[in-house]
Amino acid sequence: MAVAWIGSREALVGDAAAKAADLLQSSRCPVFSLDTDIHGTRAAIALAEQVGAVCDHAGDGGALARETALFTDRGAMTIAPGETRRRADVVAIVGELPEIHHEFVGELATTVPDLGGGNPRRFFLVGPAGTPAPPLGKGRKATPLSCGGQDLCGTLAALRAQCAGRRTALPVSNFPAFAEALEGAHFPVFLFSGHAADGLALAMLQGLIADLNRKKRASGLHLPASESGWGSALVSTWMTGFPLRTGFARGFPDFDPWRCDGARMIAAGEADLHLRIAALAPEPPGKRSRMASIVLAKTAGPAAGAAVTIAIGAPGVDHDAVVYSSRLGSLRALGARTPSDLPAAAAILRLIAEQVGSEALPC
Amino acid sequence: MLTRIAGGDIVDPVNGRLGEGDLWIADGVIVEAPADGEAGRTVDASGCVVMAGAIDIHSHIGGGNVNTARLLLPEQHSAHLPRPAMTPLSNAGWSTFQTGCLYARMGFTTVVEPAMAPGAALHTHLELADIPIIDKATLVILGNDDFLLSMIRDDASATMIEDYVAWTVASTRALGVKVINAGAAAAFKENVRTFSLDDTVPSYGVSSRRIVKTLQAAVDRLGVPHPLHVHCNNLGSPGSAGTAAATIAAAEGQPLHLAHLQFYGYGTQGKRKFSSEAARLAELVNTTPEVTVDVGQVMFGQTVTVSSDILRQFSARGSAHPKKTVIHDGDGNGGGIVPYRYGKDFYGALQWAIGLELFLLTDDPWRVFFTTDHPNGAPFTAYPALFELLMNRQARAELIAELPASAMALTTLPSIEREYTFEEIAIMTRAAPAKLLGLSDRGHLGAGAVADVAVYRRDADIAKMLGEAAYVFKDGDLVVKDGAVVHYRWGRALRLKPVPDKAMVRRLEAYHQQRYGLSLGWFDFPDTAIAREQPFGEVPCRS
Repeated sequence: MAVAWIGSREALVGDAAAKAADLLQSSRCPVFSLDTDIHGTRAAIALAEQVGAVCDHAGDGGALARETALFTDRGAMTIAPGETRRRADVVAIVGELPEIHHEFVGELATTVPDLGGGNPRRFFLVGPAGTPAPPLGKGRKATPLSCGGQDLCGTLAALRAQCAGRRTALPVSNFPAFAEALEGAHFPVFLFSGHAADGLALAMLQGLIADLNRKKRASGLHLPASESGWGSALVSTWMTGFPLRTGFARGFPDFDPWRCDGARMIAAGEADLHLRIAALAPEPPGKRSRMASIVLAKTAGPAAGAAVTIAIGAPGVDHDAVVYSSRLGSLRALGARTPSDLPAAAAILRLIAEQVGSEALPC
Repeated sequence: MLTRIAGGDIVDPVNGRLGEGDLWIADGVIVEAPADGEAGRTVDASGCVVMAGAIDIHSHIGGGNVNTARLLLPEQHSAHLPRPAMTPLSNAGWSTFQTGCLYARMGFTTVVEPAMAPGAALHTHLELADIPIIDKATLVILGNDDFLLSMIRDDASATMIEDYVAWTVASTRALGVKVINAGAAAAFKENVRTFSLDDTVPSYGVSSRRIVKTLQAAVDRLGVPHPLHVHCNNLGSPGSAGTAAATIAAAEGQPLHLAHLQFYGYGTQGKRKFSSEAARLAELVNTTPEVTVDVGQVMFGQTVTVSSDILRQFSARGSAHPKKTVIHDGDGNGGGIVPYRYGKDFYGALQWAIGLELFLLTDDPWRVFFTTDHPNGAPFTAYPALFELLMNRQARAELIAELPASAMALTTLPSIEREYTFEEIAIMTRAAPAKLLGLSDRGHLGAGAVADVAVYRRDADIAKMLGEAAYVFKDGDLVVKDGAVVHYRWGRALRLKPVPDKAMVRRLEAYHQQRYGLSLGWFDFPDTAIAREQPFGEVPCRS
């Protein structure tokens, strides 16, 4: 089975890696889009440092940027998922959560806290009317907390105000039930994500949590919009000091969430080469795009429009991997479910780095 | 290749070598001088002091909380980048890569990350594996976890508790065990806001003292070389010297290590109700031979406090500079990140003085250890300046003159004339840490030791001399020359490997399935997950 292509022509992996290295070395402004495991990210950042590239998340980079901005700009009170399962007697779902977390929310609905007081768990859903809620099973429904036509941030603001005993122009629906639940709660937990919450909403939520902690305990469970994105952000942070949207064009790690927004750089024509690392073959670039691309993906054929395509395995499926697990709230080792000969992204990226020439130091 | 480090002033207290001589290295270890005297490489060390590579027993260099601190403070890295010489934190080694390089430049070759959450062991070891040059090790945190607290509450046998501690140490690849404000994080989850040595954790009815004593005994009986590493209750509070004194008394003849004692050296004298109790604590240490301490020296400037003492960090949120913090309730301890600036005001000056008093009033350099609790008291890059203060009383006097007289009046520091010698520095930063951690292969320059060697060119400016080594060898490789890294290599994480009891593993499997809905495999990992050749080095337990 062919595993590499230069254009649409089959090629040896070494030749494809050499071609990729040539493209990277001649690029003035390469952008890397990452959707990969921990070791893939480590190798990608090492390569980016060599060629002066920008690293961003391949999926919803905006959601990940909002989540990292919560920490870089403001800070947060958070709780581990294990403690949430064991202690949270009030669970408030803040806005729409990504589908990858619905199973855990369902698990919370079918278990009871075993630490901290023995209350049963009660569920609330914060957000505008119509906010989709994860299924809780057995006909259970979260009590909605909405505020007229207010968006998520406006709803959170009203909720925070009412919790503090202040008047609001419009009341939050079912607030008496929420207030009564908080009164008897041992450890309320708010489930949040950058998926549907903007920066202001995330900050407002943290303000509410801080208010509650003046007299009682409460916290927030961060459920990332993308597990691979959050994992890559952690790796970037330990390797460079900064999360994703960090570039190396100036010879040192340069964190700028606007300037190093990969999608913006591509749309604005700033980038001249796009290295995409993805679990599956990405969508082809738009017809008007003249930008060269290198694609590392689990694919049986060349990616449309790509100058170089190299097939890689899926982390934890084709090869062993380390990934961020939101269920664990930390990194987790995964054994290959169906081991194959497809290489890991990290192996291909190191091969390209060797062709680039200079020593890839951090990895 | 046979290497000869020629003509240096050897300072090796363990082997009684003090004076000019040669040191020979072959195949990564120190060897006796060969009969024929032929060296493949000769390094001229004339005019230099030659010591073993330094060992830092307590420096937060990697893991979940450290990385969260990086995430919280990008401005501490970027804003200072163009003027690194002016601001300590710009040199703080904020990335893993810088951490290894900056430590190596100072002649440090082994560093212990002292606060690894069991659930973040894989993350911690991946970060440590990305720190180049030096060897690393970790202390795993216990004492706020439900499994242990439940066992203590239920009067589980000592053997069962040892089995649990052994499993935790083995599965997390740790070198020792740390307890951080024992029971307080669990109590905080039930809305307790202050917690001292004889307070009990709600829902368990177990006191902090009992947790410490239980772990102290288990660590000792398991033969873990490093005594239980204790972060006491009431860190940073005026009057916390009483807590530290009570904890020292609780050692009761068994080995115990108290971390960053400076943060407990606070009395309640004076109109601000904040004074130095360092002399009293130092005397207690002097008269309690089973106790060792590290200092956690404060140095002036911007830093960030990173601690798994979530109760303390929560209460410190108001002093954050800049005004942003992270407080995380973890499965056991969790942690808190609070940036902070130590100013030359009354409080900062007194904290600075208390640390130095502890260094200078503790008689035995084998029992007091050189730390700033990086980054809590100061970034480790402040070490050269701290060496200067310990070895040069004139340097101390000059800084004392800049500080508030009201603060200096509440400390004995201005009256202390002691200056550390190179031999005492070699004990405190090499020989004693190796002994404390059970690392018989380092901390000295005897034949058979790993060839971790630091060569410093003599200079009247101690900070310059010890801040930029002339040569550093790691496992025999020349890694630093004239203060610059010349060779990158990957060190190992040193670990114990006790054999877990099978019945305890079965019990933990059932516990994790029932309580967390996850199999035990979620919390474990193979060595191959680190993706480096030989990521770990095994250290034997005491027999």
